[in-house]
Amino acid sequence: MKKFFNALNLMQPDGQVQPQQIQILMSNTETIPGRTIGQSLGVVTGSTVRAKHIGKDILAGLKNIVGGELKGYTELLQEARAQALQRMVADAAKRGANAVVNVRFATSSVAGGAAELFAYGTAVVLQ
Amino acid sequence: MNEETWGLIFSIGLPMLFAFGPFLFSWIFGNWYQNSKQKELVEREAAFGADPLTTLRTISEATTDSGLLVANIIMSVSWWQGMIGGIHSIFGGTITTWDKTLSWGRQEAMQRLREKCRDSGFDSVINMRLETSEIAGSKGKTKALEIVAYGTGIKF
Repeated sequence: MKKFFNALNLMQPDGQVQPQQIQILMSNTETIPGRTIGQSLGVVTGSTVRAKHIGKDILAGLKNIVGGELKGYTELLQEARAQALQRMVADAAKRGANAVVNVRFATSSVAGGAAELFAYGTAVVLQ
Repeated sequence: MNEETWGLIFSIGLPMLFAFGPFLFSWIFGNWYQNSKQKELVEREAAFGADPLTTLRTISEATTDSGLLVANIIMSVSWWQGMIGGIHSIFGGTITTWDKTLSWGRQEAMQRLREKCRDSGFDSVINMRLETSEIAGSKGKTKALEIVAYGTGIKF
């Protein structure tokens, strides 16, 4: 049983590399401002599919009476986007990069009220 | 008035109240809520001062530090606004309710990015981009739009 849980833990990409240990710079411009790029290591991606808690969905429906911001969803997507970015950074760290440039985001809604958040960019080694 | 007229009023009035009551409630409280929030946003924008956001890709000043900044917001119209929007879309033209909601949402997302820029100690945000995507609740009930503002924060 312990082995099974260990295997599950290993399956999480966040568990493999701690991006905090290696500082990875990110930017959505072609270069990291003030630095020069030495070598490109290809495209790195990170994605996550999240669905809303049913209670949150009902609360959001009620919040809709007055309109405006749906805070529950804002927080949810913020967390999801952070996770997608973290997975992208983990991918970059695995390749030995120390920066990701030209980061782009894409969102698509998946059936059943779920949303996919996708982050991609180019992993590079800075000089 | 005799009992029959009262009966008539109740038999028509009560179902009407249950059918349109929520929309009426939504109209009154939605307007009040949204106006107060928009006023707050305008005050925050005025208090912020010089705008650090640019869509330029490069900047002439030498930079010492940089980082990715992301701000998001999910906006939706109220029940009343949704109903008005539905009526508008029959005749075509500008759907004012969604129009207002989206421009408000975009303003709010940009203001959040400005505040994030200030809070993380950056001086300016370059290559700012805005993206909009549709978020549907389960069974497609709640129609909402997500607005993301992101850019590279730089420190001179």
